[in-house]
Amino acid sequence: MQSLGVISLNIWQIIISLANLVILYLILRKFLYAPVRKVLAARAAAVDRQYADADKAKEEAQADRAAWESKLAGARDEADALLAEAGVQAERRGEQVIADAREKAEGIVRTAKSEAEAERRRAEAEMHGQIADISALLAEKLIEREINEADHKQLIDSFLAGIGESGDTDR
Amino acid sequence: MNDSTQVKTVRFRVTDALLLALTLLPVVFMITLNVLFTPESNGIEIEGALIYFTIPMPLQDLIISESQIHSWCVMVSLLFFSLYLTHGIAEKPCTRRQYLAEWMVEQTDKLVKGNMGPFFKGFSPFVGAILGLSAFSSLLALFGLYAPTSDINIVGGWALLVFILITYYKFKCGPVHYIAGFFDPPLLAPLNVISEFATPVSMAFRHYGNVLSGSVISVLLAVALQGLSDILLGWLPGVLSGFPLFRIGIPAVLSIYFDVFSGCLQAFIFAMLTMLYVSGGFSYDEYMRRKAKRAAKKREKTA
Repeated sequence: MQSLGVISLNIWQIIISLANLVILYLILRKFLYAPVRKVLAARAAAVDRQYADADKAKEEAQADRAAWESKLAGARDEADALLAEAGVQAERRGEQVIADAREKAEGIVRTAKSEAEAERRRAEAEMHGQIADISALLAEKLIEREINEADHKQLIDSFLAGIGESGDTDR
Repeated sequence: MNDSTQVKTVRFRVTDALLLALTLLPVVFMITLNVLFTPESNGIEIEGALIYFTIPMPLQDLIISESQIHSWCVMVSLLFFSLYLTHGIAEKPCTRRQYLAEWMVEQTDKLVKGNMGPFFKGFSPFVGAILGLSAFSSLLALFGLYAPTSDINIVGGWALLVFILITYYKFKCGPVHYIAGFFDPPLLAPLNVISEFATPVSMAFRHYGNVLSGSVISVLLAVALQGLSDILLGWLPGVLSGFPLFRIGIPAVLSIYFDVFSGCLQAFIFAMLTMLYVSGGFSYDEYMRRKAKRAAKKREKTA
């Protein structure tokens, strides 16, 4: 078998070698670079997606927090308003109760007073009668003479009425 | 890595093994060819690639030599190796080799982006192809095989492709820009033309010369060490007189430099020069201006 010289140019060999390099370029592009690039791109996309997800979750959490906080503040306000209203209502009711009680007490006092008055009047009237009877009896015994009891009673009644009126004005 | 073992089915493993076997098979094939066809030599001959067969063609006969066969074998190996690397690739890595694949892609991307700018992003597979083909072709010398990179035709083909790319990207900025590039200092126009065509030639010769010189020096050293052994042990009787004492180990150390280091370095240099020349001849501003002008003209025509 023959060998080539150390330097021997052959145009076909040069062209074959050129084509070899082009073919190897295509092979590497198709079988090494394309799959690896695809995987790298997919990984980059996944990382981006995860970052986006995390950002979204964070945003949502913050929005939730804000919502809760506003809700909480609203609830506190509402509770304050309710308390205030309840206080006002309670005060009003208390006043009413007090007013009612006072009214009732006044009514009771008034009736008691009027009853006492009526009692007093009745007692007075009774006393008038008894005093008249006693005075008539006393006068009868004193004078020891028979007089018209009816006439005397009338006389004493009118007299006592005079006393009662003067007594009324005294009190 | 625990859950990955569950993912790997028997079929997955079989495919893996098959791909790895197909990656190594070309190497075995090359070694077999080498053993079968390489004539025994006394070591001092420095020749080019072995010719397997010749096909008559116009202009020049097409010679299929070791360089071609070995280049194709390296390409087949690289094809199956990339298939192996990307086998079972997933968004969540479940194989260790995926890290290697990603590292390779990211490194070439970074290299291309750093040297050529973002416009040439699509160049990274090309740079990867240059690096892979050149480095593994040179590394074939480790198996005692003929390195295709020590054939001027192989490296010349790559350099020609690089020259075509340089010219293509220069023309992308317009023929006026291309011509004007030669008259940068107006007086030096002839030199500029010469240097334009010298670029691929120098690239080809640099790479080829470095690899070839490495193998030449290896051969010379092997012969010299054999001579040294002969001087030291020549007086011994029988087989012992030819015992290659100094050829044990010492050439391996030299091979680390001449085959591994030099081969990888030349691959890197070739890739770097490709990137620099292609992006150096291309003017992005000029390209964008031309593009905008053309778009404006088109709009005028339609309006």
